[in-house]
Amino acid sequence: MEVQSTTGSRVRRRAETKLCLSRRQSLVRGILGRLGHGLLFVMASSSLLAVLFIFAFIIRDAVPFFRLRGFSEFFTSPHWHPASADSPEFGALAILFDHALVTLCAAMFTVPLGIVAAVCLSDVLPFAIRQIVKPIIEILAAIPSVAFGFFALVILTPLFQNHGGNVLAGALWAVGVPVMLIVTWVLSDILSSKFKVGARKAARWTVAAVLAGIQVALLVYLGGKLSSLVIVSGTNALNVSLVLGIMALPTVVSVSEDALTAVGRELREGSYALGATRAETLVKVVMPAAGSGLFAAAILGIMRAFGETMVVWMAAGNSARIPSPWYNILQPVRTLTATIAGEMGETDQTYGAAHYHSLFAMALCLLIVSFLCNFAAEWFVRRTHKRMGKLAK
Amino acid sequence: MDMSSRKILDRGFTSLGIFSVVLMAVTLAVLLTPIIIRGAGAFVFRETVENRRFTFDVFGRGDEAALEVEVADAAKARQPVYDMVAEFRAEVGQMSGRRKRDMQGQLRTVENLLRELLGPFPGEPRPVMPRSRYGKPRWDRAEVALGRLLTVEDYDYSDPTQLGKKVLTPRVEKFRGTKLEELFDYLPAHAEAMLRPEWTLNWRFLTDEPVDANIFGGIWPALLGTIYLTVGAMLFAVPMGVVTAIYLVEYAGSSRIVSLLRTFVSTLAGVPSIVFGLFGLAFFLNTLFDLHLFNQVLGISRSKTVLAGSLTLALLVLPTIIRAAEEAIRAVPHSYKEAALSLGATRWRTVVTVILPASLPGILTGIIISMGRAAGETAPIIFTAAVALGKVPSLTELHQQPTPALPWNIYNLCSENQAIEEIRHVQYGMVLVLVGLVLLLNVAAILLRARISRKLRG
Repeated sequence: MEVQSTTGSRVRRRAETKLCLSRRQSLVRGILGRLGHGLLFVMASSSLLAVLFIFAFIIRDAVPFFRLRGFSEFFTSPHWHPASADSPEFGALAILFDHALVTLCAAMFTVPLGIVAAVCLSDVLPFAIRQIVKPIIEILAAIPSVAFGFFALVILTPLFQNHGGNVLAGALWAVGVPVMLIVTWVLSDILSSKFKVGARKAARWTVAAVLAGIQVALLVYLGGKLSSLVIVSGTNALNVSLVLGIMALPTVVSVSEDALTAVGRELREGSYALGATRAETLVKVVMPAAGSGLFAAAILGIMRAFGETMVVWMAAGNSARIPSPWYNILQPVRTLTATIAGEMGETDQTYGAAHYHSLFAMALCLLIVSFLCNFAAEWFVRRTHKRMGKLAK
Repeated sequence: MDMSSRKILDRGFTSLGIFSVVLMAVTLAVLLTPIIIRGAGAFVFRETVENRRFTFDVFGRGDEAALEVEVADAAKARQPVYDMVAEFRAEVGQMSGRRKRDMQGQLRTVENLLRELLGPFPGEPRPVMPRSRYGKPRWDRAEVALGRLLTVEDYDYSDPTQLGKKVLTPRVEKFRGTKLEELFDYLPAHAEAMLRPEWTLNWRFLTDEPVDANIFGGIWPALLGTIYLTVGAMLFAVPMGVVTAIYLVEYAGSSRIVSLLRTFVSTLAGVPSIVFGLFGLAFFLNTLFDLHLFNQVLGISRSKTVLAGSLTLALLVLPTIIRAAEEAIRAVPHSYKEAALSLGATRWRTVVTVILPASLPGILTGIIISMGRAAGETAPIIFTAAVALGKVPSLTELHQQPTPALPWNIYNLCSENQAIEEIRHVQYGMVLVLVGLVLLLNVAAILLRARISRKLRG
């Protein structure tokens, strides 16, 4: 009984006090609210602080290197011998070049495929299949980079080393034959349209036969050349570019799919109403409208390949020189990320050692490039949204 | 262009799209199939008597009586081998000159290969390294060792314009007419009797300590280290990320602050992971933990620690958590918030009692995905937390000790270990465990999200 009565009175008292705040109470509440707000703001700016700190500390440790050795050697000399006792050399040109080469190769492979796959997902495939494909993409994106590196090193490398030429020739045929068929069909149609109506059919067949013959000859010649190729080292730029391309695919696909869906139905329906085929609608209407979003997708995908460490460290061969000739992607290379990962453990990790600071200089290069790319990507994404917003109005 | 060409171009374009979608699926299959199949080999394999002996000696598991019988049987089967070798040794002793020297060399090779296959000869002193104390623990490795015993691998350099060609000749050719000739018939015929392989399911691969460069034992330290690092990263990243998201959605007044903060979040998401590693080294280890307060008063070590690794990983996954939490909070219907406010709740109370519970599944999805990300990242922990060998620190010394971790040990075992070929199964097993862990987390997230969207729809 007693307990009940006390709780009853407490409830009553609380109700009396809570309904109307005294001036002091409201002041305290206001101050507490402000304080809480301030605290929240500080915690919320953790990402801002993190970015600023990352820049500050990478720059702090990179500056001593440039002060010690200047800029020109780092960016113009291809000789990287940082551990040499009497005359260390810090020319990162070859490493920068290799990094760019690997990133570009990966981009050349991943950007078109990724964008086409996104188009396919957003416009071509039925909903049920899309529901299956999306988790596949997510899982592909989730696989840790070290697993990709392991795959490149343990499975792809021996494959390239032992059957390199045949693998390349097989890939050429697999890609070349469908392309050849389409090219033959379309070109023969275009070329034969110049003939008179009566002779058109015959002309078309002749043109097609000639075209197909030329292309088959080309394929046979190239395939023969490729299959006689001996790849000396399985750990090379092509190997890692392929794997990096695969790793970047999910990013490209998901960002460009977002951009393509943002285009909206009206444009597509307008184009179909004018009699365009699906491919024409997609290529001439939807993709230009989603252009900046697709750019952003490409940039983000390239950044994924650009910043990757483990795959290139494990499977690129780690040889710091420019391939000869420069476009030979079958030679081992070494990237900035791999150099940092591989050499930071060996250096004297103390403030003031040139080698330690040179690695931070590399990190600074990585950081600046990724920062700029990110900025560009964000700008493109915003532009798409703005444009689409205007279109919707 | 006539209609048929346009149609063909259309089909071509479509098929290109389908090709790239299929390519992704195939890539996933090509990537996962060998990892799953060969990774399973770390768990399910034909275990030889040598592994059972090792397990009993080192981990104290197994039936002693049965093992003794088995070892005795195996020894009986091996005895003729040792007899043949002894006879041949006596034969070599009677030879002379160059033939003697030559045969002595050949005999030594055979003896060493036999030691690799079966362990030390009876009566020999007990070697220090476990790998020379026992024979081959796995039947697949034993078959390889047997193959090396039976055939000689040589390279033919007679054509100077070509790379050396591999030539395989049976080793027995070198011993024709000697007492050792029989050995090469006896070995393949009695290999199973000598090693007694049996299929086993070795789930202890997950929970055993590695012994002697991972040739024996399991991967427990790496697995536990990964769990520590991941959970540690979440402890730091989740509060920061969720609070940031709450601020962005509920508190930030002007849209300029929101877009500024969001720009920084996406910048953070774009920083290469190796740069996070360098930052962890330069900031946490070389600067923050170098301070008197952290180093002397709190006793945090200045070299690699689990703590530093967790902090670095936390920064790495912060953007993922912020974005997921922001999306989840935004998805909470406006009416919930209005109802709470109209009941007189303060803004903070509304957030804690109404908005957070309603958006919890979405936030959890983001947390699970970023756990997968943190578990799989290698580059940030190279300089801040990971070591290849060693024990996992106890819970009270996480701020003082480094730890092995799955991703780093995978790298290490497949590129810097002394016995890379010998422990392929461990490498595959580790990759399988890591990929399995990450995929499990992701599948959980996908299922959770599917449930949320069903709930929202229905």
